[in-house]
Amino acid sequence: MKKNFAGSDMNMTPAVNTQPELSRRRFLQAAAVTSVSSVVPTAAVVLETPASHAQEIHPKANASVRALPNPIIPNFQGEYGSSSMPGFQVPKRPMGSTGLQVSILGMGGFHLGAALSQDVVNDMVAKALDHGINFFDNAWEYQGGAGEERLGIALKGKRNQAILVTGVCTYGRKKDVAMRMLEDSLTRLQTDHVDVWQVHDVIYYNDPELAYQVDGVLEALTAAKQQGKVRFVGFTGHKNPSIHLDMLDRGFHFDTVQMPINPFDPSFRSFERSVLPVAVQKSMAVFSIKSMSGSGESIVRGALTPTEALSYAMSVPGVSTTVSGMNSVEVLDQNLEILRDFKPLAEEQMAALREHGRQFNDGRYELYKTTVKYESDLGRAQHGFPSSMELPA
Amino acid sequence: METKGSIPLRRFGKTDVEISALGSGGHHIGVTKDEKTAVELVHTALDGGVTFYDCCWEYCRGKAEDWLGKGLKGRRDKAFLMTKVCTHGRDGTLATDMLEQSLRRLQTDHIDLWQIHGVGFANDPDLFIRPGGAAEALVKAKKEGKVRFVGFTGHKDPEVHLAMLNTGFPFDAVQMPLNPFDGTFHQFSFEQKVLPVLKQRGIAALGMKPICGRAEPVKKGVFTAQEMLRYAMSLPVTTTITGFSDMDILKQNLEVAQGFTPLSGTEMQALRDRARRYAADGRFEPYKVSLQFDNPEARMAHDFPIDMQQIETRELVAETQNTGWPFPS
Repeated sequence: MKKNFAGSDMNMTPAVNTQPELSRRRFLQAAAVTSVSSVVPTAAVVLETPASHAQEIHPKANASVRALPNPIIPNFQGEYGSSSMPGFQVPKRPMGSTGLQVSILGMGGFHLGAALSQDVVNDMVAKALDHGINFFDNAWEYQGGAGEERLGIALKGKRNQAILVTGVCTYGRKKDVAMRMLEDSLTRLQTDHVDVWQVHDVIYYNDPELAYQVDGVLEALTAAKQQGKVRFVGFTGHKNPSIHLDMLDRGFHFDTVQMPINPFDPSFRSFERSVLPVAVQKSMAVFSIKSMSGSGESIVRGALTPTEALSYAMSVPGVSTTVSGMNSVEVLDQNLEILRDFKPLAEEQMAALREHGRQFNDGRYELYKTTVKYESDLGRAQHGFPSSMELPA
Repeated sequence: METKGSIPLRRFGKTDVEISALGSGGHHIGVTKDEKTAVELVHTALDGGVTFYDCCWEYCRGKAEDWLGKGLKGRRDKAFLMTKVCTHGRDGTLATDMLEQSLRRLQTDHIDLWQIHGVGFANDPDLFIRPGGAAEALVKAKKEGKVRFVGFTGHKDPEVHLAMLNTGFPFDAVQMPLNPFDGTFHQFSFEQKVLPVLKQRGIAALGMKPICGRAEPVKKGVFTAQEMLRYAMSLPVTTTITGFSDMDILKQNLEVAQGFTPLSGTEMQALRDRARRYAADGRFEPYKVSLQFDNPEARMAHDFPIDMQQIETRELVAETQNTGWPFPS
């Protein structure tokens, strides 16, 4: 491991974290600032746009050191906002049996939607594309639609370079709801088709049964494919491999599947051990998520470094891309630095990380399996669960 | 004593000890409005034929044990007293220290049933049985005569219960949530997965959460509290533990329990059928699918996030505040 971003000064785990979903971003931003500064000592951590105000990325930033206004040149090579990154291309892999080639790292939509501004998203998407990152995930429900809207704006004129993925958030509801969601998604994403349309968050034990019901969401997947509005279909989830297997076993032909992959998973309700082989056998494209536990829970506790976390997920055979949430150019840069030096881990390195993960096999770093923390309010409402305000985890 | 209208007594596992088919839940004793009411509740329950009293080292930072001890003072011999130890995977020496605190608070020289509290995380069985783990404390306490029987409790995952049983430790009792939703939530059904094993091994089965902990199905009109309590008490269990923090609820429970006759198989199936459509995603069993019923003591021992809205967390934080009250209120 070349870099360890989880240095001692980052040991900032709050005893009581009332905003857990924010902690990872704060950490990663702080980590990125540290790492970027060490690489480019004069780098400013202030973004400025010609049209608007300067926005501080990090409160500790030295505001006196300002970058030149960012001209936001599409696919501009070189400087973006405050930081630089030498040109290199992220490797690609075949995306299952789709015939597409996908970058080994994908950009997560939720955190893109949570970035400071549209300008930041534009910068990030342009920079990602320039480095060969071509996978952009999203979901109908992210930020009430703003997640898709922002990505749509950022991809304007570059749509054909991207593998555009979004999720349909029916949570047991029927085809008509799904088709309306698809129209919303296409409008927000400013496109006439998405490349991959996935049933989002199949995480309740009766979701497979509900998906397969007559006039259910799976019929919408088929119809949308026939209408040419989506090219490939799949589903996502993070709760229990038994739910994923239930979805697969009932027989629908999915092109893609999304699942948590990290060194903790193999010793606790393991997707890698039980779902991945089935998906590979079916020649499906596998998208890995939760490489850093969802909100960096394993990172802030020092159980993994970001480099270890991403390297592990990107090295698991059968994974097409690893979807990582990034909410700023700094976090993208941190990931790009990891990618620049990335070599797939050897089997003994993988085994060592799994062995390290085994000691936490109570699910403490996989809260998406053991708690309701990662269940959205929309999904909870459909399943009669209390909201995240009432029941945080 | 065994007259028509009293609460039926049932055999505690393979022993010749008998306990009442309705048990008093300890947490509710601690959240009663005041100490005087708590003591009156215990007296009324004893007079009504409840002989089984549950409690726990961590309930209300000790207040529940303290108040139950006051309620049982002078009547200790009428009660089968249970309390729990909250190691949550930590060392056996900690368990022994907690036992001494429980004995002092409960004002007794022995506990009838001492149980490992809240076994629910996947590595809890390994941590329990390891050298230096809580299993050693159970053996020691039994040998010293400070506890008569030992067991464990948990509300999370039947597989974890089975792993505890597979450690080979000689448990006398096992406690678990039992209600119509549990009965039909297949992957997480204690009734389907754990109860038969206990019966086969002659281990006393103790039911809890008959109305799902906070009576959500009652509040939402799916069942009445009486229907749910009757369901739980009709299963092959030694007792069903339910909490009451006011006299009306206690009397309602006593009405069901006194002269209780189990429901028929058909009646049980009808209740399960009504529960089925809500059971499949766990919406009425948050203790299985969320952290809602996991105390900060358990979460911290396992490095899980605590929740500042949770009353137990607020009590934990308030415990050392100088309010003039002996326990956080």
